[in-house]
Formats: sequence, structure tokens, C-alpha cells
Amino acid sequence: MKTALFLLPVSLFAQWLDFHTPGIPRTADGKPNLSAPAPKTPDGKPDLTGVWRPEANPYFYDVIQELKDEAIFRPAAEALFLKRVAEFRRDDPQTHCLPRGPSDILFGGQLYRIMQSPAVIGLLYEGGGNYRQIYMDGRKLPRDPNPTWRGYSIGHWEGDTLVVQSAGFNDRTWLDRVGHPHSEELRVTERFRRVDFGHIQFQVTFDDPQTLTRPLTISLKVNYAADTDMLENECNENNTDTGHLSGQETARAKLSPAVLARYAGVYEFRGAAGAGGAGTFFPRTQTVSLVNGQLFMNALPLIPQSETTFETETARIEFVTDARGAVTHLVLTAAGGDNRYDRKR
Amino acid sequence: MPVITRTQLLAIILAAPALQAQWLNYPTAGVPRLPNGQPNLSAPAPRTPDGKPDLSGLWEPATPAASSTFLSGDPPGDRQFSGIGVNVPGGLPLQPWAAELVETRRAGEFKDAPDTYCLPLGLVQMHVHPYPRKLVQVPGLLVILFERDTTYRQIFTDGRPLPVDPQPGFNGYSTGKWEGDTLVVKSIGFKDGMWLDTKGSPLTSAAKVTERFRRPSFGKLEIEITIDDPKAYTKPWSIQVHQALALDTDLIEFVCLENEKDLAHLVGK
Repeated sequence: MKTALFLLPVSLFAQWLDFHTPGIPRTADGKPNLSAPAPKTPDGKPDLTGVWRPEANPYFYDVIQELKDEAIFRPAAEALFLKRVAEFRRDDPQTHCLPRGPSDILFGGQLYRIMQSPAVIGLLYEGGGNYRQIYMDGRKLPRDPNPTWRGYSIGHWEGDTLVVQSAGFNDRTWLDRVGHPHSEELRVTERFRRVDFGHIQFQVTFDDPQTLTRPLTISLKVNYAADTDMLENECNENNTDTGHLSGQETARAKLSPAVLARYAGVYEFRGAAGAGGAGTFFPRTQTVSLVNGQLFMNALPLIPQSETTFETETARIEFVTDARGAVTHLVLTAAGGDNRYDRKR
Repeated sequence: MPVITRTQLLAIILAAPALQAQWLNYPTAGVPRLPNGQPNLSAPAPRTPDGKPDLSGLWEPATPAASSTFLSGDPPGDRQFSGIGVNVPGGLPLQPWAAELVETRRAGEFKDAPDTYCLPLGLVQMHVHPYPRKLVQVPGLLVILFERDTTYRQIFTDGRPLPVDPQPGFNGYSTGKWEGDTLVVKSIGFKDGMWLDTKGSPLTSAAKVTERFRRPSFGKLEIEITIDDPKAYTKPWSIQVHQALALDTDLIEFVCLENEKDLAHLVGK
């Protein structure tokens, strides 16, 4: 969905607050000492307090990174996924400034603040200025919770790891931006372990027997964001996009299997590691495959727009041929510009 | 009968589910009790380990919802929600252009109220909003979690100064420090065009807002708000906000934009 493309730069690049976080360990030259020991609260528990930024990762966009793993979705869920793909993800709640739900915490580059008090831990998200409460007072998950966008969360300590269990989600949020669904039966388990001052090892498991054949686990590094802070980010301010969303199946070009088959192959990102660009959001190796008449780039379904151009979540893909008609490379256009992937096989 | 404006009607209709649907039944921990087991709301305010009053708790307007009625034209709770200057002697000292703006907003049936568009209301109106809010006070930071649209506001108490040229925002930028048992919070960096109440009293980017938070007893929170906005007002003015502790309940999720179908039907100019 194009809206996502335009919303991204704000939270990723606008951290211009020039500010020194008080009270954090610093090295002799005044830089934050991110490898100092993790702090503890007066009761001896790890103190997760601070502003955090998840590492750049592809899971916020697609929880599935290899096409074979798509099979963990049950047939009805997969059908709903492909329907959302065909509608160009018009109904992604994020596009309509509705909460992102359980995937909010996977958004690489989005800052969030953890505020820790003995009875409740607050997660304040930069995007949309919304929050979650994690109850630490020993209560149980409610038996029949009111289904909500963000669920109901309780936490406890297992050694130095904060374990957060959540339930009571509605089924309107999406597991990711490409459109994988979940049901109201979704249970989420998050594990936060602060390994040193500057780093949290984070793991999230989505368990939803109605949608998934087995639980799905994602691991991420989360980095302390020193000397900056969250900015106000009001999604609904000047939202003029939604009136222009078509989501019509007619926007799809009809291509023959023979044409689609020409693009199947392995493509490698041309660009230095860490150079930014596509490497930030998309894998450096893209495997394009044709399954049952549907073209995929890794696990992302590609929707034909013309004989050589395709649409996918947050990106447009163009396949480029040489004078003899052989496909030499693809150009992935996303926030930040064009990214060239050379064909290897 | 006073005219009920569309915005007020909307507010009343929206307020009803949240006020009556606080069905979460979980006892609040750490409440002082009288010998008969009832909560002792006039007990002293709790304190944090560093000896400061602890403002943490779930708070709602001290004016019971039942005391205002549908027919009064006011939404339940604090009357300042619909008229921020209702208790200011002589009314709000509006600059002439600001008085014209208020009249224009009235003539437009308050159609452009930020609430109508599910936009943030800003820190002043949120203090008098009928929905509950939770204050969470930790070292270096006071956060207010609002039920209205599940948003938060940060007040930094870690000694940082106010920024020199902040990015204008709905909530501005807030720092606080203790003067005795009063937390004094100063905020700047507001967007132009904001509303302080449902009647459209303005706030501009020139505004400096000072809030003085006191918790005189376990069950009471008092906030004195001073608005110094020379662009919109001829002199600074102050209001008092009284909030009461809400026990054995909690915030529930409220997503303003969920199922929003009203905008297309507004008729104001």
C-alpha cells in the first residue's frame, strides 16, 4: 500500500532532537556507553526503562521470509491473505490510521519508551502516540476479555527475562503489512532480556490455532536510543490518502504463465552492506518463484501492473531485460529510491 | 432549553459508552482503608521513595457525571470541557481577532473541532475530558495515559530544559520540577489552530502553559492551569481542575477512528 511508503520517512529520519539523555553511563569521550551493565530496579529486577528502537527487520512487513514457511497458515487464513494481496491491502488498519496491534512492536526504526514501575510496565509507541499497559501485579489474563486492538497484557519475570503474555485481541489488526491475518484466539508471548545497557534481546511468539498450524516465533535485537526522544506522530493529521485507494482487482494486469516464468530466478542486491536503501527493509537476496500461476519475490506475492512491472507491499518491482530479451536485473523502488538487484541465476 | 450543538451531542453520545462500560473489576492495590473497610480517600497522599508526592493513579473529573444532565447541554463531568473559561472572572480575555475566530467557529456549528476528526485535543482540554486518565510517575518522568483515543503525554522531570525551538505539536513539550509538594510543569511548542474546549476557545503557537499539580489527599488531584498566550489573549488567565481518584477499575481501550461514519453527515459551514 502506497500510504505506508509515505508514512515511513517521518518516524525513521526525523529524530532531530539534539538532546543528551541524562543519567546514562558514558565513556570518557562523553558517548553513551552502550556496553555498560544493564541497570537494576531497587527490587533487583532488570530495569528496562528507556527509549528503544528495534533493529531494521523485514518481519514488520512480512512475518514469513521463506515461501515454504507460508504453509504454516491454515487454508482459510491463506485465502484471506491472498484476498488482501489482490485488494492491494486497501484495508490494512495502518492505512486508515487505526492501531497496528501486535505487530507494532516489530516496526524497525519506530522508537518506543519502556517505563517501568513495580505494578505496571508502560510501553509508549512513537507512531500514533499510543500505549500499552503490562500488568505486573500478579493478576491473570481475563477469561473472556473484551476484544481490543492492542490486547490485554500481563507480565512476570523469569530470571532476568521479562515475559509478557497477551490475549483479547480483535481480529481486525494484521500480523504484518502484507496482510497475514490472525483471529481473536491469538495469544502473544513477548520476551525482553536486557543483555547490557544498550541492548535488549527480544522475542515474540504468535500462537493462534485458528490461523496457524504451529506457533510462529520472531527474534530481534532492540537498541537503546540515546540522546534523542520520541516525536509526536499523528497519523490522522492531514490524511488525504484514503479517498484515493482503489483496491480493485481490475488494476491487475493479466500475464501468461510463460511471461511470468521468465522472471523466476535469484537476484542479489547491488550495494554495500549497511549502505541503507533496500538492505534496510528487504533481504539482500531475492528469490523470485512462480507457484500456481502466482509470482512471489521471496514470500511476497507480486501483482502484475504491466508486462514488466509489479506491485508489492511498500515497493514497486521492475524487471529489466537486455537486447536479447533476457532478464538481467530487477529494480525495487521503495522509500529512499531505486534499488538494483542483479540476476544471479 | 439551551441549544445542544452537534459537537456537544457527539460528545455526549461518545461519552456514554466509556463512562458506563468501566466493567473491569480489579481491586486497586495499596488503598488506605477505614476501620469499616471502606477506602479512606482523605488519607494523606502517597509519596515516592524520594519523598515527593506520588501523583500516580486513575483520575476522573471530580464533578460526578450525574450532576450534569443531557438537557443542560453540557457533557458529563467538568463543565470546563465545553467552556474552558466558564469560571474565569469576566470571561476569557480574548484578543479581537480571537473573539472573531470563536464566533466563526460557533457559526460553523463547531464542525471543525479537532475531536470531530479524532485529532488530539491538546493537554489543556484533556485535563477536563470526561474520560479517565492514568498518571504514572517514575523517576525522571510523569506520563499521563489517556483513555480517550489511547494516547499518552510525557512530562520530563529529569532536569532537562525546555527546547529553544521545539517542533510544534498538539501536546507541546513539557518539563516539570517540584516546588515543595507542587509539581510545576511548563509547556511550549504548540501548533496553531488548536481548541481549548468544544466552544473553540483558541490556543496559538505563542502559548506558554503552566500547570501546578497537587495531591492534597489520597483521593484528590488539583491542577491549576495558567495560559499565557499573548497572541490570542490580552493577559494570562488561570483555571482550576479538580479530579477524583477512581478505584477498582481501569482504562479501557478507546479508538476514536474505529467505525467513524459521522464526518460525511456534518452540516456546519
